[in-house]
Amino acid sequence: MRAIDHHAWTNRWRDWHPAEKLLPASGLLVLTLLLPPLTIAPLVLAGTALATVRGAGVPLRALLGVLAAPAAFLLAGIPFLAVSVDFAQGFDLRLSSEGLRLALTTTLRALAAMSCLAFVVLTTPLTDWMASLRRIGVPAGVVELILLIYRLIFVFFERALTGHQTQTARLGHSRVDRSVRSLGLLAGNLFQRALAQARRLEIGLLARGYAGELRVLAPRPVLSRTRLVAGMGLVGLVGAASSLLARGFP
Amino acid sequence: MTAPLLAARGLEYVYPGGVVALCGLDLNVERGRKLAILGPNGSGKTTLLLHLNGTCRPTRGEIRLDGQPARYEHRALNHWRRRVGLVLQEPDDQLFAATVGQDVSFGPLNLGLSEAETAERVREALTALRVTHLADRPTHALSFGQKKRVAIAGVLAMRPEILVLDEPTAGLDPHGVTHLLGALQQLHEAGTTLVFSTHDVDLAYAWADQVAVFHEGTVLCQGETAAVLGNRDMLHRARLRPPLLLEVAEMLDAIQDRSRSIPRTREAVLALLRERLNEAAPTVPVEPALAHAWRGPSA
Repeated sequence: MRAIDHHAWTNRWRDWHPAEKLLPASGLLVLTLLLPPLTIAPLVLAGTALATVRGAGVPLRALLGVLAAPAAFLLAGIPFLAVSVDFAQGFDLRLSSEGLRLALTTTLRALAAMSCLAFVVLTTPLTDWMASLRRIGVPAGVVELILLIYRLIFVFFERALTGHQTQTARLGHSRVDRSVRSLGLLAGNLFQRALAQARRLEIGLLARGYAGELRVLAPRPVLSRTRLVAGMGLVGLVGAASSLLARGFP
Repeated sequence: MTAPLLAARGLEYVYPGGVVALCGLDLNVERGRKLAILGPNGSGKTTLLLHLNGTCRPTRGEIRLDGQPARYEHRALNHWRRRVGLVLQEPDDQLFAATVGQDVSFGPLNLGLSEAETAERVREALTALRVTHLADRPTHALSFGQKKRVAIAGVLAMRPEILVLDEPTAGLDPHGVTHLLGALQQLHEAGTTLVFSTHDVDLAYAWADQVAVFHEGTVLCQGETAAVLGNRDMLHRARLRPPLLLEVAEMLDAIQDRSRSIPRTREAVLALLRERLNEAAPTVPVEPALAHAWRGPSA
């Protein structure tokens, strides 16, 4: 998660208007869901990989890292799709070609869809979405909650990590039963600290005139029509290419 | 005599659990001074600072602003906190926004300033703390020292008359301390009154021009730095030791004349030491020998 955040903040397309990244990515996502996966999914995967790695300058490793977790779930699901069980004549377990095809198309489609999301999260920091969320009418309280969670996740991640390290240093994780006990203690400790931290955060905010609203001066990136049109044009091209290819396939 | 800018009179505070934190404490914050509140860790200094901006309300006694008893209704508190800025010890308790620039803009926007004015205040505060280059960085990716300076910038952007800092140098490396004190010194020269808590006698000696010694919920003694920190009996009662520089300087002066003013910086004490050693044995090359002694056996 820290890696995603780091790239989102430092990539070459960081300063672009979020819509310039979100709209083409959504376009690709819609194509992935509508068109036959065998032709569109590889094109979408290639397109998002190129945009993320070549365009925004995010290392390929980071992209693969983001895709790895869902890919693992997909792989785990393949056997259940590929193998069909028939109870009509007793018990019949078989690998059907239909099942294999279903497994392949589902996996491809899901991976391609994930890559659209990966492109967006790797190129746009979460905070860029705050202003947009407000604009489309999400209540201020919800947006502030997202902001605070985002900010404090990193504080607690750090505390959890140091806590775990000091426990390990005192052999708290040397056996499974000890490990379970230590994790319980750590969780309880983090919970108490979270409450104390919330109280101190409130003191700090009140000292700066907090009156129930977390208003900050956020930069307003300018929407570049050229980039948006170019992005959507590329999405159109991918769709057209996929349709052409699909004619070649039965 | 004019009333001090901010004062505590007979301040008493009992925690909800019944533990007494402050018992009959008096304190004066005078305009344009650098006041150190000196006391051991965990002695209730933070609780005292929380009274100075109205976060805690005393059980008995009062806080006075310009000689007037402070009031705790909403508008009065807003006005109070506009004048007295509080910087917490742990910067992660204070920074909430995603980027440095956004976090610093929070205070000025709460003052009701326009976006243009706010942007100007943000620039000004970041410049004063020398962190302009961090403006667009996410707050969670900063070093501790950087977070500390950004937290101060966030309060400074509201242009408080008095800046109250809880242990400003805690957790900083020597370079970070120098950097931070340099920035605070500039603020002070620009007219901001500074109040800071510390357990570091040497820091208070080198940098404050007034010291209040905090001990067991009360201020034992408040006055000019040299006078307060030269009072060995009182320091002993407060379980503090005299500043090292003062002790060295006193020993050096004890040999020679007592008419000179007591040096308060490391450089001044070293210069005095060099002078004395040269007087004692003019032919001995003092500095290399000293440097060797300083490095000790590990060198």
